Amino acid sequence: MSSDLLIDKNSPYCPGCGHQNVTLNLAKAINSLGIDPLDVIVVSDIGCCGLIDPALASHTVHGLHGRATALASGISLAIDNPNKKVIAVQGDGGATIGIAHLLEASRRNFNLTLIINNNQIYGMTGGQLSGLSSENFQHDKANMNDPVQPFNIIELAKTAGASYGCQIIGKGDFTDYLKEAISTDGFSVVEILEVCPSYGYQKYSDIENLGYTNHKFINERKPFKLSRNEFKSLIDFDSSSDIKFNGNLEKPLQIILAGSAGEGVQSAAELFAKAAIKCNLNVTKKGDYPITVGTGFSVSELILSPDEIHYTGIDTADVLIAISQTGYDYSKSKIGENTFIIADNSIQNINSKNIFTFDFKTIFGKKNSAIASLGLFLILKNSFSFDAFENSLLESKHKEKLIPVIEKIKSLTDEIKLPA
Amino acid sequence: MNSNISLVDGSKLIVESLARSGVEAFVSYPITPANWINQYASKRFPLMTFAPDEITVAQWIAGLSAAGKLPATATSFPGFALMVESLNMSFMMELPMIIILTQRLGPSTGSATVGAQGDLMLVNSIISGGYNLPVFSTSNIYDCWNVTEKAVHTAVKLRTPVVLLTSKEMIMTSRSMDISKLNSIKKVEYDFYTDETAYIPYQANSQLVPPFLPVTNNQHQVRLNSSTHDETGTIKKATKAALGNTIRLHTKVQRRLNEYLLYEFDQDENNELLIISYDISAEATRDAIKLLREKGIKVSSLFPKTIIPFSKDLLEIINNYKRVLIVEENLSGLLAKIIYGINPPANVFKVNKIGSMITPNEIIKEAERCLQIY
Repeated sequence: MSSDLLIDKNSPYCPGCGHQNVTLNLAKAINSLGIDPLDVIVVSDIGCCGLIDPALASHTVHGLHGRATALASGISLAIDNPNKKVIAVQGDGGATIGIAHLLEASRRNFNLTLIINNNQIYGMTGGQLSGLSSENFQHDKANMNDPVQPFNIIELAKTAGASYGCQIIGKGDFTDYLKEAISTDGFSVVEILEVCPSYGYQKYSDIENLGYTNHKFINERKPFKLSRNEFKSLIDFDSSSDIKFNGNLEKPLQIILAGSAGEGVQSAAELFAKAAIKCNLNVTKKGDYPITVGTGFSVSELILSPDEIHYTGIDTADVLIAISQTGYDYSKSKIGENTFIIADNSIQNINSKNIFTFDFKTIFGKKNSAIASLGLFLILKNSFSFDAFENSLLESKHKEKLIPVIEKIKSLTDEIKLPA
Repeated sequence: MNSNISLVDGSKLIVESLARSGVEAFVSYPITPANWINQYASKRFPLMTFAPDEITVAQWIAGLSAAGKLPATATSFPGFALMVESLNMSFMMELPMIIILTQRLGPSTGSATVGAQGDLMLVNSIISGGYNLPVFSTSNIYDCWNVTEKAVHTAVKLRTPVVLLTSKEMIMTSRSMDISKLNSIKKVEYDFYTDETAYIPYQANSQLVPPFLPVTNNQHQVRLNSSTHDETGTIKKATKAALGNTIRLHTKVQRRLNEYLLYEFDQDENNELLIISYDISAEATRDAIKLLREKGIKVSSLFPKTIIPFSKDLLEIINNYKRVLIVEENLSGLLAKIIYGINPPANVFKVNKIGSMITPNEIIKEAERCLQIY
């Protein structure tokens, strides 16, 4: 059920404008391909060529300056139907602003067509030059800049991976090019060199004298297809929690675990938090890192409480567990009079009597010191049952590697002595 | 029902709530502190992809929305700033979408891994002409679930972009939670145009919103327009009909506020002191309220969760109090400015701070001070 794409044959442009011939060619191309206008979505840019909408029987979307390709890409992302044709229309100005969108559409090879109406100048604002204006373009009415070579937009699209591109002089009938572009699976770009009766050349021979010729490329490439994820809830509502261990807290306990990036601080703290949950305690856990995650200190703040926790900041820690100098140095401002410190014995300059030091790094290695120090803390203070922590570690996906760590912590139970 | 205590975080609840509420597509550019939201989203949405920059994100989600795939994204100030023109476009085109703005310390790129509440005036003012987008705020972990659902429903029912304002500490802190207490989420339904007669894209129903049709439909022509346009969706200079359409965009958001107004009001028996807060500072306020009451001080709290437009219903509550204390993690008190302008009355006090969360003790101190001096 095909009808005419063009519902208004009157031109909205200045008399003699090159855009009108593009509109007529586009309508002819769509009509002769037998495409239902309601299978076509025209996305137009700001600029004279964006005045095309009211003349068309297709769906029309009139967006921002320079973004027509990006907006059309979004529509294309939603469509899984090769019969639908998404066509973006912009001028040489819009193509200049939106050049990154053109490159991305080319790279991903989105299923859409971009028509660039290149009349060498910005018509709406009084004839400024664009990034697509030829360095040989000269005109009395145009706002001239120093001549600079233009982007070769078709070559850029080709390099970036578009399926199809052509550069054509916008005179007469060029529907064959448009039909080829619109029928392409993937991204196709058609740059049309045009006259502009107000600020540009009025004769196509002048355009041709700038050195433009009709040419095209074809890239055998599959169009982009978005892999659609399977829906899977992030939250398991069917499981029920298994509270089976003892928590011994009557008031909130604030623990800072301080180490360096790569020492497993965050995952150890998470397993510790899950263990606290098994003891019917409320818990919060958050990481603190430098601006660049992956270097420097890695600190985890844990709050355990028999009551609901709202504010999750720690101003003065009840417990500071430090396994690296970097972590300690970052966290020492949160040491108070009553802060109990557990520290690797490599850490220098700790001025506290309420401290337990241990050779975590040598005995447990860099990767397991965080877990070992939390385990020893539970054995020392029994804030909640070590069995809960063991249970949590055994539920981890690294269970096999953690069993020897658990055994080693247990074997130390008799050796370690409480600080005075 | 058996309890089900899990270690969850606000990012996870927001993403799951978006999906259950009807969001189908998620496009993002990675940015801190939206990291976890983006990670969860990549596992959760049937349509999910990363875009090369935030202007592209905002354009792609507009395209997805125009095609009937309800989209969402998450960003923080640097990315949001790039989206502003495109959000104006989607506001004008009446395209539903959800923008999660995860606040971090500014100005500019500031400190990516430090939380803040510095973007309220920004989201209050992004639409040229002073029109409002509905802005929601999460004041605790449950809000990450419930308020997100309301944000999605509001976006679709009002056909507008909405902003869900949250912050680093709210969405990147894990906590134990009984997830069996989470409400079941209702999937939003579009109000589609179903008549046989020609579709007039911006002809509004009695609720001030035009019925929706995607640009992929084969029955009726759809015209969407970012420039000033009349009911038909064609570009017009400032004609009466076109301005009428533009004014409707303001009216629908303001007049239907009661449909999407959410707040938490914990009222004490007298009207000596009201503490107002939102987002992460509401959590410290909850602790402060508890401790103040333990000291025998009468105090009430108000947490607006639909924060823009700021409802006159909330003003009525506020105006009943002898003293008002507004708590927010920014330098000069942005909510205070929205409520009172540049010249707050003498009974209005503020707790402000940048660089770290406001503590319950700082709130208690100021509460006691204002009770003493005023």
